[in-house]
Amino acid sequence: MSMAIEARHLGKAYRVQGMAPPTLFGTVTRLIRGQPLEQFWALRNVDFSIPKGRTVGVIGPNGSGKSSLLGLIAGTITPTEGGVRTDGRISSLLELGAGFHPDLTGRENIYLNAAILGIAHEDVTRRFDHIVDFAGLREFIDMPVKHYSSGMYVRLGFSVAIEMNPDILLIDEVLAVGDMAFQMKCLDRIRLFQKQGKTLLIVSHALETVEQFCDEVILIHEGEKIMEGKPEEVIFSYLKEYMVRIGMLNVEEHGTREAEMTDVVLRDEYENECTQFETGGAMIVDIHYHARRRIDKPVFGFNIKTGNGFYVYGSNTQIENVPMDHIEGQGVMRLRIAPLTLQSGNFFLSLSIHSWDHSVQYHRREDWHPFAVRDPHGAQGVFQLRHAWALQEKA
Amino acid sequence: MNALRTLTTYRELLHNLVVRDLKSRYKGSVLGFLWTILTPLFMAAIYIFFLQLIAGRGVTIRHADIIIGVFAWTFTVQAVTSGMNCITANANLVNKVFFPRIILPVATVLSALITFLLMVVVQLVLVAFLLYREGGTMSPWVMGLPVLIAYHLLFNMAVVFFVSASNVYFRDTQHIVNLLLSAWFFMSPVMYTLALVDTMAGERAWITNLYQLNPLAVIITGYRALHMSDTAFPLSGMAWAGWLWPIALLMAGYVVYQRAQKYFSDWL
Repeated sequence: MSMAIEARHLGKAYRVQGMAPPTLFGTVTRLIRGQPLEQFWALRNVDFSIPKGRTVGVIGPNGSGKSSLLGLIAGTITPTEGGVRTDGRISSLLELGAGFHPDLTGRENIYLNAAILGIAHEDVTRRFDHIVDFAGLREFIDMPVKHYSSGMYVRLGFSVAIEMNPDILLIDEVLAVGDMAFQMKCLDRIRLFQKQGKTLLIVSHALETVEQFCDEVILIHEGEKIMEGKPEEVIFSYLKEYMVRIGMLNVEEHGTREAEMTDVVLRDEYENECTQFETGGAMIVDIHYHARRRIDKPVFGFNIKTGNGFYVYGSNTQIENVPMDHIEGQGVMRLRIAPLTLQSGNFFLSLSIHSWDHSVQYHRREDWHPFAVRDPHGAQGVFQLRHAWALQEKA
Repeated sequence: MNALRTLTTYRELLHNLVVRDLKSRYKGSVLGFLWTILTPLFMAAIYIFFLQLIAGRGVTIRHADIIIGVFAWTFTVQAVTSGMNCITANANLVNKVFFPRIILPVATVLSALITFLLMVVVQLVLVAFLLYREGGTMSPWVMGLPVLIAYHLLFNMAVVFFVSASNVYFRDTQHIVNLLLSAWFFMSPVMYTLALVDTMAGERAWITNLYQLNPLAVIITGYRALHMSDTAFPLSGMAWAGWLWPIALLMAGYVVYQRAQKYFSDWL
């Protein structure tokens, strides 16, 4: 299979002083003193190849080098080491509204922006109404864009940008623009690009979206490629290893520790330790606790959030009237979730032990335990609803 | 050659950038594009007024000379000052979109050319009128104006290649260039003529020769010679050097610019 993008030993170094534009004086004094330039590697030793027609996601924490990578592929940044080979016409959706002139009207800016993106004038004229309608800006099209809201600005930029007909499309975090309705339109457009067999490279923090769209995901951190592989695997390991380590998640642990969770084990229905579950299956959480003194009427609680921080479900033994007189010493509390009605995605489990009147938190672990769910049937959403279909006779 | 091919491939972008520049320049002003003509016209009027005031007896100031001088000078100043910022002002574009970077300085210089062409039309009418009042006529050599304008354009381009690239790396450039421009103004025959320099130099011909190494000295005098038969086209002495070295400057400017543009996004 022929490759659309091939990066070999790719590296980009910036001068640390480069944060501020250099002055002539500064350069001359530096040369006289013979100070070497301090370098900062935004990206180093990155190798990968993307076959034509694939959709690949790039994930990683802020400042990991994702945007530099896209810039290198797009050609706006010149590599310091190695290089990128691309085959086909590249366009990037990373420049929404770049090159818009605030004093010009929406109409004038459409033509200007199209020219910047390399879209032929006739094509824009032919598709003009479509562009305007897609952006939903018909009544504002002859207004200078400086009076646009930021959402309108970006929508207009996106509507022009998707008129490109590239072989390779680079997308940088633009899927998060506009309101819900506009986002849906954008995602539809991305799907269309995929159907047309184009190569897509998506950089995003919206992991759910990345997982949904990509055939493969590359994880980069501190300028290096850490992992490359199936979306669910890479995203899961990213959530587990990196988000926690770099403190991107609100992972925390606190409490008086009068009763403490010494170990928490996630198991499937066959009692095997695991972190990946199937929709409709069982998920067992064994909470090994150690109560340092007798605690009357303790409450065990749990909640589940998605990787994006969306609160899915939460409950505790008090709400459910689970009979529990007291705990003392070591023991195991088993939480059994069956059937597991979560849909495909990455989730976080929070656990807590607190007093009956909620005044004392003995031990709480927030977003502590990541786990993944796979739905073998492919329904959409976060949560599985019990439902049934039935064709009704006409009355 | 390579550069020319790039420019034809991207002519649509070039066209759009020039239009953007021209459109946005006077957006919101009542007189709009008229300012293009009015500004240099007022400048010429001011110079003429004060020169007559201070020059007094002996030296005669010909209105046509001043108009031609100021208009030609305006072309270079406009190209250089806007060209200086053509990369830094478009940082967003340069950082995010790939297109041949050579487009930006070329577009700036071309938009300065379009304003200049409008000024040339006004200049032709004014000079013809002034000559007619004195009982003279325009030199037939005025037909050669497009060639001289094209040469002037290339010279401006050469300067803009240097200053636009340099301003990305050293923001001091804009201040230095502004200083140099004011010195350059007095070293070029804008408010006076080459003939005056020659007269003042007298026996010391090297002064005139040195003076003519300034490309603007020969360009402005060239414009005057094309309009009025009593001004000699500057070809004597070192004038040829003044005509030729900008060609080398253009080539050097192009090479320097192309080397510099690779790392523009690192500095913006």
